[in-house]
Amino acid sequence: MYDVYGFIRGPMVWLSFAIFFGGLLYQARQFYVLTMETSLPRPPASVTGLAKGAVKRSSFDPRTMLFASAHPVLAVITTAFHACIIILPVFLLAHNVLLFESFGFSLFVFPEPVAGLMTWLVIFCGIFFLLRRILFDHVRAISTPYDYAILLIVIAPFLTGYLATRQWFGYESILVLHILAGELMLVAIPFTKLKHGLLFFFYRYLMHYEHTLGRGSRTWSGTTLHKRGNANA
Amino acid sequence: MPDVEKNTVDTAAIATMLQSKDAEMKRILNYCVRCGICAESCFLYMAHKGDPQYMPSYKVINSLGILYKKKGNVDKSFFEGIKGLVWRNCVLCHRCYCPIGIDIPRMIDFTRSICRSQGVYPDHDGGESWL
Ligand code: SF4
Ligand code: SF4
Repeated sequence: MYDVYGFIRGPMVWLSFAIFFGGLLYQARQFYVLTMETSLPRPPASVTGLAKGAVKRSSFDPRTMLFASAHPVLAVITTAFHACIIILPVFLLAHNVLLFESFGFSLFVFPEPVAGLMTWLVIFCGIFFLLRRILFDHVRAISTPYDYAILLIVIAPFLTGYLATRQWFGYESILVLHILAGELMLVAIPFTKLKHGLLFFFYRYLMHYEHTLGRGSRTWSGTTLHKRGNANA
Repeated sequence: MPDVEKNTVDTAAIATMLQSKDAEMKRILNYCVRCGICAESCFLYMAHKGDPQYMPSYKVINSLGILYKKKGNVDKSFFEGIKGLVWRNCVLCHRCYCPIGIDIPRMIDFTRSICRSQGVYPDHDGGESWL
């Protein structure tokens, strides 16, 4: 019999990582294709000048740094959520064991109780965002099934990961679900709204506009999809 | 050319305008994670006690977003319908703050241009007050 499990745990993992990194590179390239250097006045290029400009615009003020208009509770929750999602999978013991088996090296790992707490945090924040989407008029007014799906794609690996660690509901099948959920998330990041994890840095630091955190050296080149290929992905 | 008298719009011209900036606008519309964080940065949203119609992203999604979705195939009543969203509900003050870097006023400005190209203007004398 064709070994589906073997495929999901083997080649498909590598394929997902290839799509993930390839997709991110593609998005970065698209950014440079679709934008150009602006001739508009902007802060000096020196690092100190840049820092001064950023401080002036309050971007290093923790109260206004990234979430100028967000409620403090929302700012804390979304920061914790994003930090855990990025950090936890990289420094998880189980993932680093696999890393060692494949490449002969591993990274710093979180103690298991800390990892468990972070997983809980992600799940709790996910439920918070879900309820916020449903209960708050202004968020519900702009929510589509796509937005719920994105949230689910992000939460699924953490939920299944937690269940797998606890060995609930049959370890083998939950583990396969966990791997599938992780692969889906990796593939989705460059090609869905999740790409904001990368493009955030380009738009907030490089684009020239009112709330730029960096020099704001670039602007849209007015390129259309029809002349320069499909930029919609 | 749009015929103001006959209440028609030039869909080909609208499509051309949309196309001229689609790499930017479609991308950004697609990039918005619909989090609603921008809401409270808009003083008009606050002044209207949290009416979603004054939320920055709502204004763009329901005007320019629909124009792109329909590829410009809209009629005059569509423009009459979004007129309030892009003029009365926004003063282009550039205060709205999106943590992931969406420049909302730039999009509203573009939507206004499309409206004007089809002979649709704000009713400054028609009781559409800002507050
Ligand atoms: S414009 Fe920005 S802050 Fe507003 S809903 Fe979209 S992503 Fe969120
Ligand atoms: S530019 Fe428009 S949407 Fe943004 S804060 Fe000002 S009035 Fe609100």
